Amino acid sequence: MIAHQLALMKREFWEHRSIWVTPIAIGIVISVATLTGQMSISAYGGEVDLGIAALSNTDEMHRRIAIMAMMGAVTGVFAVGAAIVMIFYSLDTLYSERKDKSILFWRSLPLTDAEQVVSKLLTIALVIPAAALAITFLTHLVVMTISSLWLMAEGANPWHLIWSSAPLFDVWAANILFALAMTLWFSPFFGWFLFVSAYTNRSPLLMSMMPIIVLPLIEMLLLPTELLASAVWGRLRLDNVPIFGIEFKQIFDEDDVLQMSSQDVSMFAALDLGRFFASPSMWAGLVVCGLLVAAAIYVRRFKDDS
Amino acid sequence: MTSLVTANGVTKRFKDVVAVDDVSFEIEKGRILGLIGPNGAGKTTLLKAILGLTDCEGQLSVLGLDPFKQRKQLMQQISFIADVAVLPRWIKVEQLLDFVEATHPNYSRGKSEELLKRTKIMKKSKVRELSKGMVTQLHLSIIAAIDAKLLILDEPTLGLDIIFRKEFYADLLADYFDEERTILVTTHQVEEIENILTDIMFINDGRILLEAAMDDLSSTYTELATSGANAATARGFGPIAENQLFGQTIYLFEGVDREKLKPLGDTRTPSVADLFVAKVKGAKK
Repeated sequence: MIAHQLALMKREFWEHRSIWVTPIAIGIVISVATLTGQMSISAYGGEVDLGIAALSNTDEMHRRIAIMAMMGAVTGVFAVGAAIVMIFYSLDTLYSERKDKSILFWRSLPLTDAEQVVSKLLTIALVIPAAALAITFLTHLVVMTISSLWLMAEGANPWHLIWSSAPLFDVWAANILFALAMTLWFSPFFGWFLFVSAYTNRSPLLMSMMPIIVLPLIEMLLLPTELLASAVWGRLRLDNVPIFGIEFKQIFDEDDVLQMSSQDVSMFAALDLGRFFASPSMWAGLVVCGLLVAAAIYVRRFKDDS
Repeated sequence: MTSLVTANGVTKRFKDVVAVDDVSFEIEKGRILGLIGPNGAGKTTLLKAILGLTDCEGQLSVLGLDPFKQRKQLMQQISFIADVAVLPRWIKVEQLLDFVEATHPNYSRGKSEELLKRTKIMKKSKVRELSKGMVTQLHLSIIAAIDAKLLILDEPTLGLDIIFRKEFYADLLADYFDEERTILVTTHQVEEIENILTDIMFINDGRILLEAAMDDLSSTYTELATSGANAATARGFGPIAENQLFGQTIYLFEGVDREKLKPLGDTRTPSVADLFVAKVKGAKK
């Protein structure tokens, strides 16, 4: 069973090159932008010296926050990229195997439809995030290395300015948890996309957007309620994800003065897993995802395209 | 002999259309059965039912299993080529072998590689880079390396040129077939495979028109080419089909003693294609 799943996920990894090509492309763009950005500001010699001097005089906590912000921004770009890969993958995977008839070959092997559809769900939940996270972490290191080389060229001490206060493992642990939480939170959408991919005979993207966009609109126009809109659109708002343990007002006071000490500056500590797993909304989403995936398995098993 | 496939009153309906209509038959071990019928006759639907890809009414047992409910167990002992070019186009040959090796308990990778060495297929190639004939060779090299009791081929050579078609069936007999194995094949090009078949089954409008061993055809069916007065005499024996060709009349007889027909002209065993046409036309009358 597990051996089958591994083989099936490997197959998805072979087929969908975007799983690793997309994060690598993002990593290259970020690295090149860092390099060219730093080279171009080197032209402003005096200002650069002043900036470095100012940075050297800030305390460790502020440097830690600055590096964390940089790492968070890099992660954010990858998260958007991975989300796009997940959406297109989940819409395509059960559709294209029917279109190119390869489903007939996959079904000639001793594998159940459930095993094959579950492998696609696991690809969304594990393979795509794992590939994106690995390259995200690598990009963090590359950006910091490029910055270190640049600082050295400018005569500054990168160990002091960057590495000694870089919260690498804190950010990485937070990124991994965040990715898992996001996948669970958005799972009903991916369940829906897999179902559409298994069911529709044309344009899975358009078909999948219909209920997400059109049905809530119809409800709002015809009925006094906004149930669908809040269920579907509300789930898409990042600030509704019950994973954030602190709010910005706790970090800065009214005068924008930092309210934290060095030990408090932790991305990991900002995630509240207790709250996340206690959220009925999260669990309801998982149930919806489970039902939709079961429907996708049923459709793959019973739909006769011939 | 033991039956590998037993069908009893198998029926499959699609809304108003009856694709397979109350069909009963048995397939025994060690046979090569040709399932022959025009487009839309219900061939593919019947194969899908045998493969557990579609449900059906009636009783259907394949290798003692219910194909629809026990598909996974069944697929360990059956292999099939559903159509030409169903191999995923993006996959590399070696990835394909890796995948089948990881998922099929009765697959011998060594045998596949041995068979592939005889072809021009490179292991690093992607399926989309191969010609249609090579894709079929690749598929056969995988199928032949699976220790399956039953092999089902649905139009395995459609769209291939004559050389690949001939090679395909020659390789199939050489590399796959033995008395422990059974093959069920459908094709339009029946004349190309009739010499390898041991049994034939004609199907039209979802019904079986004829089920016979090839060896029995010569004792049951006779084709007579004759002319003039002999033709009129021959007609008295009640032919099931009649054709005019080069000034001669060709009759096809069922169950008429060939010795009685010999004095009337040239007799021979009809080709499967001619017999099929006669049976389909006869059924329509």
